[in-house]
Amino acid sequence: MNKTPYAELLSMLSRHRGVVGSFVVSERDGLSIDSNVQIGVQADAVAALAASLHRKARLACGAAGCGTVTFLRLDAERGGICAAGRDDLVLVTISEARANIGLLRVEMMRAARALT
Amino acid sequence: MRIAVEQWMEQPLLRFIDDSRVRLVLLLESSGRVLAQHGFTRSIDVMSACALAAAIHATGSEIGRQLDGSPFTTMHHPGNQQQIFLGELPTARGAHILLTVFDDTTSIGLVRLYFKELGARLAAATPSAAIASVAPGLVDFESDLNRNLAKLFGRI
Repeated sequence: MNKTPYAELLSMLSRHRGVVGSFVVSERDGLSIDSNVQIGVQADAVAALAASLHRKARLACGAAGCGTVTFLRLDAERGGICAAGRDDLVLVTISEARANIGLLRVEMMRAARALT
Repeated sequence: MRIAVEQWMEQPLLRFIDDSRVRLVLLLESSGRVLAQHGFTRSIDVMSACALAAAIHATGSEIGRQLDGSPFTTMHHPGNQQQIFLGELPTARGAHILLTVFDDTTSIGLVRLYFKELGARLAAATPSAAIASVAPGLVDFESDLNRNLAKLFGRI
């Protein structure tokens, strides 16, 4: 399969400690454009739901007058989901509780600014 | 107002509608006979949509067979304001077709995700004494269609 322009970026993110998957998804369609996930991750489901989450966050921030969403983080019992978007593209990572979220946030926000 | 001709279809379909946030739903047999609907206000629209959906599905299946050796089972068309998704649901009673219309409150990714779950729920809910669906003759088809439409629109 041909590599997309995001393959290297996703590979870099997935190498972070505790990251079990990373995606570039289309916010409008909820479809994964490229992904790098470990076995057992329901990639299509996460892509669709994360895109929906990001869209709702963007609309909520717009309605609240907060401006654009720069980073979205969802914490759960055993890990979390992070998302950073630009235009219709959203960078999503799934991580376990042991991940360094601070470092991941910096990397994701930098990468999201370069998404085209 | 009931949404399905047969009771056992209601819960899986309602769950699909709630989860996917689609505007219109039509479940039909491959012959075009309606089994369930949601969001339509006129029976004539349901009849038209069923006929078109059955035709699109049959055409798409045949194109798939000719191009790919196996029938295409899903189709998605993104319009400017609204999108449609049409997919085949294999059941114990033969293949059913789901046609759904949605806008930007949801996405094709979510619709496909919940469509898969709908398939599993319908398969689990199908009554054990499933009767194989027999293709209705022309006279039976019309009366079955009218009866199903009457049930769905609360006339019986």
